[in-house]
Amino acid sequence: MALLSFERRYRVRGGTLVGGDLFDFWFGPFYVGFFGVTTIFFAVVGTALLLWGAALGPTWNPWLINIAPPPIEYGLGFAPLREGGIWQLVTVCALGAFFSWALRQAEIARKLGMGYHIAFAYGVAVFAYFTLVVIRPVMLGAWGHAFPYGIFSHLDWVSNVGYQYLHFHYNPAHMIAVSFFFTTTLALALHGGLILSATNPQKGETVKGAEYEDTFFRDHIGYSIGALGIHRLGLLLALSAGFFSAVCIIISGPYWTKGWPEWWGWWLNLPIWS
Amino acid sequence: MQHTNIFTRIQVAAPPNPSMPIPNAEGRTRGARLSRLVGWFGNAQLGPIYLGTLGLASAICFVIAFEIIGLNMLASVDWSPTEFVRQLPWLALEPPPPSGGLSIPALNQGGWWLMAGFFLSASILLWWWRTFRRAKALGMGTHVAWGFASAIWLYLVLGFIRPILMGSWGEAVPFGIFPHLDWTAAFSIRYGNLFYNPFHCLSIVFLYGSTLLFAMHGATVLAVSHLGGEREVSQVVDRGTAAERSALFWRWTMGFNATFESIHRWAWWFAVLCPLTGGIGILLSGTAVDNWYQWAQKHDFAPSYPAVYQTAEDPLISGVPTVRAPDPAAIAEPTPAAPVAVEPAPAPVAPVEQTPAPTEIAAPPVAGGIEATPEGPDANAPDAKAEDAKADAAETPEGKADAKAEDAKPAADAKPAADAKPAADAKPAADAKPDDDAKLDDSKSEAKAADAKEGQQ
Amino acid sequence: MSGLKQTALGMVAFFILLMVVFWFEPTRTTQLGFDGVGMQVTDTVERMEDRAAGNVPPPALPLTKSGDLSVNAYKNVQVLGHLSTGEFVGMMNSITAWVSPQQGCAYCHVDGDLASDALYTKVVSRRMLQMTMHINEDLKSHVKETGVTCWTCHRGEPVPRYIWHEEAPQDVLAASLGYNAEQNRFNGDNGTSLPRTAFEQFLLGDTSIRVQTNTALPGENHSSIKQTEWTYSLMMHFSRSLGVNCTYCHNSRAWENWSESPATRATAWHGIRMVRHLNNEWLAPLTDVFPPNRLGPNGDGPKLNCATCHQGAYKPLMGKSMLPDFPPLARAMPQPPRTAPAAPAPASPAAGGP
Repeated sequence: MALLSFERRYRVRGGTLVGGDLFDFWFGPFYVGFFGVTTIFFAVVGTALLLWGAALGPTWNPWLINIAPPPIEYGLGFAPLREGGIWQLVTVCALGAFFSWALRQAEIARKLGMGYHIAFAYGVAVFAYFTLVVIRPVMLGAWGHAFPYGIFSHLDWVSNVGYQYLHFHYNPAHMIAVSFFFTTTLALALHGGLILSATNPQKGETVKGAEYEDTFFRDHIGYSIGALGIHRLGLLLALSAGFFSAVCIIISGPYWTKGWPEWWGWWLNLPIWS
Repeated sequence: MQHTNIFTRIQVAAPPNPSMPIPNAEGRTRGARLSRLVGWFGNAQLGPIYLGTLGLASAICFVIAFEIIGLNMLASVDWSPTEFVRQLPWLALEPPPPSGGLSIPALNQGGWWLMAGFFLSASILLWWWRTFRRAKALGMGTHVAWGFASAIWLYLVLGFIRPILMGSWGEAVPFGIFPHLDWTAAFSIRYGNLFYNPFHCLSIVFLYGSTLLFAMHGATVLAVSHLGGEREVSQVVDRGTAAERSALFWRWTMGFNATFESIHRWAWWFAVLCPLTGGIGILLSGTAVDNWYQWAQKHDFAPSYPAVYQTAEDPLISGVPTVRAPDPAAIAEPTPAAPVAVEPAPAPVAPVEQTPAPTEIAAPPVAGGIEATPEGPDANAPDAKAEDAKADAAETPEGKADAKAEDAKPAADAKPAADAKPAADAKPAADAKPDDDAKLDDSKSEAKAADAKEGQQ
Repeated sequence: MSGLKQTALGMVAFFILLMVVFWFEPTRTTQLGFDGVGMQVTDTVERMEDRAAGNVPPPALPLTKSGDLSVNAYKNVQVLGHLSTGEFVGMMNSITAWVSPQQGCAYCHVDGDLASDALYTKVVSRRMLQMTMHINEDLKSHVKETGVTCWTCHRGEPVPRYIWHEEAPQDVLAASLGYNAEQNRFNGDNGTSLPRTAFEQFLLGDTSIRVQTNTALPGENHSSIKQTEWTYSLMMHFSRSLGVNCTYCHNSRAWENWSESPATRATAWHGIRMVRHLNNEWLAPLTDVFPPNRLGPNGDGPKLNCATCHQGAYKPLMGKSMLPDFPPLARAMPQPPRTAPAAPAPASPAAGGP
């Protein structure tokens, strides 16, 4: 179970980033490695803290559990455990686990002779999280500006923080981020559909190759970006979505405290109109 | 940087790749050209394209819809090209007022919107058919067309199916950049917070999931592109080391991996489910559920928080103070009630007050642990006197700034107080703008300019 | 890496640094709700200080009780006749300082005949004086004990900075294209493309603001999405006028839910009624008194909204009351009969003076 038919050839030691061959082994399908150990450590501690926070709270209903950040008045200091301290420790653990995971991806890519694209891409997602729970709160001067850990409580945060700017859809970076999210999903559907339609042709047809993929999109819209290009495009769109999401929230507060609709005044007041 | 394969470093200029045979190949344009710029990122070859009846019809319908929308926007700024560009993000072609229901509205009161919607829908559906036919002609599967159909489902729910179920075209989305965002926000507000709509949750999960998947997949393929990993169909039918390493990467990382074929099934389903679930969420709003937050409370998935502020009471329930009408005799030449040109309400039905009219209903106990003792109509109104210190502080958004303001005031006061003349006193204070950002409503207070003139007379 | 690339990257990095460092403004936050739910008001320190400094009441002129009753000392005194001449002159000087500091007494009074009601400004200002007393006496549900004075709106300008007129209606039948449903153009009040006639709907008419249903399932509430846009437009006006955001009065996850709304929401509720009442009962009847240049495109007079008094502050003048210095404005008093020997001018209501 643990090994795929071709896997034994690839399971060779060496190529780690740190720790030599100390943790250079596999556990079931998982590669362990130094960063696997740190990931497990942070994940276990963080999860235990979340469970503890839940135990202190009024409910075990998974939709309702809420681990709140400290109140604003604590600023950037440490908060008592029951008043956001758990949230602070969970955040430390989450960041530890996320960074470990990214480095683990880099290590595995290195062992497999692959590029580091995945670790980088994951890093963008971690950056977005880091922006939400560290950069923006620090710029606004209180950990209490970060979002709470809870399935629906974090949506309440999203709602209220959005309405602090009266109409968040007018945030230009939010517009860009949403456009990238939608475009990524569109491109993913087109790409997934195209590969499936080539590998699963109509009855009686043989599997179609790249020349058919290109022909389909050339017939359809006059251009086929190609097998390599679509993966570049997909990665670029997806990372841009994450990046502009981070931008849209970092500018809300540290760089703009009024309603976002007002921001567009510069456009209406450009000298070119008169 | 050299091996990341983010850009094509060496472009080979070769004759364009021929398109694969189809039954009706004369429908294709002839020739293709190479673009060096495009070639840095994807295939350099532009064209040829298949021109067919469906595509042509779709394009014509799209142009008609586009023109209707654009000309209406232009007309709404009195045909001023400058204002058209300047206000373009704010302009829209608006659906009919809700009062019209599903009837055919007057041309310039939603009729154009209905027509634009018809042509846009026709264009989209014809394009879907073209997508389907192009795949068929090449003997390929029709997965792309069905993925497209999922997006069409969401589009039709928003502009056609739901308005019909609600009985009014006015429920549909306007064609416009900011206006459709206003509509989206208003939709969430009207139906009690779409974040508590489970189908909206699912749609977002699939939206983010799609983005995650494409990042994972795109990065994986690029990471093995030096091994030919981008030739996915070849790897599906004849697994090479690129596919093996890709699979092992994820297996070693998270204990599970897709194959070069199955990742595209994951991708297709995630992408397709995003508009599919989203459309369901929209369709249920107003038809099956009217307030998603209340629905969440009913089904116990809305968190509750400790009460930290004094909550309000609905004055419609706790009592409305009666206000003394002014003595009409006090005005010069008592004018008959001026005919006030109030526009009719934008709604088809008389707006419904959800709370009973002000009667002598005793105030119900207020959630949030605040005790209210109704003594009279005004007693329950949160009076400054009644608020305890904590509530008062909570009411002060600038509580801390207040303290500062108190400090700053004596200095500010000192200067004008030194002057004896009252007129001179008020001047500096009047100059101090109340708030630099409070530049509200400039357009509506043009009378100001006229005033200064008059003052000099 | 080529020099060009390096230069480009350097410029991008420099721009980002520039933005991070120079556009960053220190802020201050007041938490309103529970930890982490985002109910809070955040503003830049600079703007808060400006707002505090710009919302200071002017120094008060003393009102000294001296002399005869003004109803006897002067002609055509209809509202402040119960004051002594000392207080009366103090009041008049204060009003001049608040309303027409540059134009002086002549803005309302005919030079040489102070009793004359020939200038429309005098008729309006008398009415506004009565309105101020009415607000302070009868509309405490909104203004509380703080109350208002002429300064609250005027701030040294004869016409308050923030007033509004009705939007000229769009004749959709005359035009064959360009229906905008009173929205979909730049909304000068809040910057969106939301409806521009929210004031007409809610601050003049009594269209219901409530669009949400307070039960899960559909029932009798048939409010449309467009109606919601009207409400949203008005609510944004509230926020902007008060320099706060939506969470000042609502927990945005449940707008309609009073049990989750801060107490401020009820104050705002009374504010809507107050403004509507004042616009209809006090300002609309003055329409014919105003000269044409004071009227809007529909021939309607100037009207109030939240910004008229609040002017960007959550409480006008940051909650500082001016009434202790000006008790005559706190309530309307019955006017003593004129006992002076001189026969009063024919006291038609048309010819009044304060």
